[in-house]
Amino acid sequence: MSAAASAAAASARTAPGAYGDRAASAPPPHRFPGRDERDRLRRGAHRVLLGNWTGASTVPSHGLYPHQWSWDSAFVAVGLRHLSPVRAQREVETLLGGQWADGRIPHIVFNSRVPYGAYFPGPDFWRSSTAGAAALGGPGAPRCVETSGIVQPPVHALAAWLVHLADPAASRRRGFLARVRPRLAAWHRYLAERRDLGGGGLAAAVHPWESGMDNSPCWDGPLARVAPAAPGSFRRADLAHGAAADRPTDLDYGRYVALAAAYRDHGYRDADAPHPFAVEDPSFNSLLIVSEYALGAMTRELGGDPAPHRERAAALTEALVRRLWSAEAGQFLCRDLRGGDGTGGRTGRVAGRGAAAGDGAGDTHVAPPGALVAERSAAGLVPLIAPGLPAHVTDALLRTVTGDHFGLGTRVRLLPSYDLRGTAFDPYRYWRGPAWFNVNWLLERGLRRCGASDHADALRAGVLGAAASSRFAEYLDPYTGTGRGTRDFSWTAALALDLLKGPDSGQECGEEVQPGAITSMSRAETPREPPAPSSESPRHMSPAHEPPPNPPPSPSPESTESEEGP
Amino acid sequence: MFTTACQEQLLPGETLQQKWEFAQSAGYGAIELRGRGDFHFRSRLPELRRALADGVVMPTVCVEMPHFLGAFDAELRRDAVEQMTSQLSVIGELGGRGAMTPASYGMFSRRLPPFEPPRSEAEDREVLLEGLTELGEHARREGVCLFLEPLNRYEDHMVNRLGQAVELIRETGLDSVRIGVDSYHMNIEEADPPAALLAAAPHIGHAQVSDSNRFQPGAGHLDWPAWLGALDAAGYDGELALECRLTGDPVEAVRSVPAFLARAAA
Repeated sequence: MSAAASAAAASARTAPGAYGDRAASAPPPHRFPGRDERDRLRRGAHRVLLGNWTGASTVPSHGLYPHQWSWDSAFVAVGLRHLSPVRAQREVETLLGGQWADGRIPHIVFNSRVPYGAYFPGPDFWRSSTAGAAALGGPGAPRCVETSGIVQPPVHALAAWLVHLADPAASRRRGFLARVRPRLAAWHRYLAERRDLGGGGLAAAVHPWESGMDNSPCWDGPLARVAPAAPGSFRRADLAHGAAADRPTDLDYGRYVALAAAYRDHGYRDADAPHPFAVEDPSFNSLLIVSEYALGAMTRELGGDPAPHRERAAALTEALVRRLWSAEAGQFLCRDLRGGDGTGGRTGRVAGRGAAAGDGAGDTHVAPPGALVAERSAAGLVPLIAPGLPAHVTDALLRTVTGDHFGLGTRVRLLPSYDLRGTAFDPYRYWRGPAWFNVNWLLERGLRRCGASDHADALRAGVLGAAASSRFAEYLDPYTGTGRGTRDFSWTAALALDLLKGPDSGQECGEEVQPGAITSMSRAETPREPPAPSSESPRHMSPAHEPPPNPPPSPSPESTESEEGP
Repeated sequence: MFTTACQEQLLPGETLQQKWEFAQSAGYGAIELRGRGDFHFRSRLPELRRALADGVVMPTVCVEMPHFLGAFDAELRRDAVEQMTSQLSVIGELGGRGAMTPASYGMFSRRLPPFEPPRSEAEDREVLLEGLTELGEHARREGVCLFLEPLNRYEDHMVNRLGQAVELIRETGLDSVRIGVDSYHMNIEEADPPAALLAAAPHIGHAQVSDSNRFQPGAGHLDWPAWLGALDAAGYDGELALECRLTGDPVEAVRSVPAFLARAAA
């Protein structure tokens, strides 16, 4: 515990380190559920997914989230494929029915049968069909369906590919991939062409909701520059369904509203909008990497050339490490493109090994714009899912996952969304500490693909146990496992179902990477990257910048073919 | 994993024992009997007892008569109730679970001329409740269940959806009257068949399977994984009884079903 945290440990509930004492007793390792428990869990997950199905897509939950959410749908499809491959395909297709002409997949596709007041901000706030209309020079929002105008993390191509793999025959019969692939490619093109606001090859989020981790402490700094909408100018609907202490604060909400309104009032045109909030998020971009590989796999399946997708994925990976890796923190950090003093330094300091070090400032290379955000979020560990990271990065990430700040396997069973020792840690409030099932599903894949199968097995057991005991809660107190937010939450059920089906390699799209890519990459790195203060200097990072020479095209034994057939 | 049953007339072989041999080789775990009228089913008791002694598994019987408990004609209605009473006793004696019947079949459709039935909805309901209560009480005494099967709108005008059956069953207040669901009829009548299964979960007692076109499962376009997943989530653990027409080589068609359903339910 840091000195500051120690000093405040005995103070108020939300004070820094207030939960540090709870770390004293490590949770017992979760036993993998027995057969009866697995049967009950499967039936329960089926009930949730069948109950939240609305005919063409799935709501995250009927009360709190009565429409179709973008990344929710992708995660739902990942689990729904085990219950009904056809419904899983329709889930993805329905979401893509709300895609805009410029390629963006909106973060909400509104159900026209649900009253406007059921959710805020609703269709009357976003006004997509008018504010985003192509006829008015806008980016081409659909005319017949109302959507939001912002996006969510691009996990869709990965989900679509996994859906295909669940029943390739049904997928081919329905022409699933042939229909969704061009739309998913357009989505990635949008992110590459309209959202590289930092100019360094990564996609930027222009609203905290775009990260999916709405009120992450990472956004506190960038958001502080945003003038909130007046409290009386909007009415939240989320508090009718969730405890206020588990939800974002009113002040944050005012800022969310102000940002979204400004984007809308600029016709959702990225080139024109001021984007006072612009961040590069490691989770968002690593999902884009994995999805780009998935697009490659789809393209290959359809008889095309996957190489351009693989090249883009490799370039994204290089950019991710170059712009967001912090050797000092031992994890990726978010980059605030509007922050810092223009030198590319940090907005603060992350406690950790080598904490005195800079983040690349002072080296001879041109520093990226903005500044790294000195907050440790689970978003910074999600890149474990990305193939082709340098071995020293993977090694450091694995240490951080189990280290003091996240404590996986020692202090908590599921990865918290935010630093257990962070000053903003709150075990109840949404993305400021609680453990989320999608993040843990991603981490499980990441651990498995990195060969950390013991940790992956333990996490899998923990996720399954928590899903069952919490009645498929939206999120959990990471220490106690007590459910928070809504129950019968769709992605919790879906991802539990996916993990219940058995661990997979985490490499379904990974044929673009050499078999055992991580280890082969590590062999290329000699000497091994030291965790030295200057380790973010590009000269030390060169192995990550250069893809391995002429990677052989042969798929790994655990790639596509191994999963064909249910 | 569900046990798959096959109605006896679909199986090759002369005797129940021969049919059972084939059924087992194809992966079936039970045979569903067919119960004709005129106490024909009761007259088969010696044959059925021998089959039982030879290990044939026969948990259910499905009625095969020209009139049913919801018949317009009072005499036919009385006969139907007597026949079902007998069939419930026979299946009870064989150690089975129950007997399946629709409210009626082929008697009237509101979707076909003359569109308006000769009896009011209130009278339909009264007749059905009377028959279901009498049969349900008898079933309870026999330790078995009566399975009420909703049929599609072209085959019956009274009970088409699971929700209608649930309403009637609740009115009887009898646990011994349950729903016999049929995937084919549900596909026509239910807006969301899996959701309908979950909504009716506590009342489901039996399940019959055929595809969207009434052919064997796999020959149509039903979303079998979702339907079976819902049935499992509903807590149903009885048989999936094959009642269908066959397309393709009939023996191969029958043989294909257990593996198809097992794969779909995996």
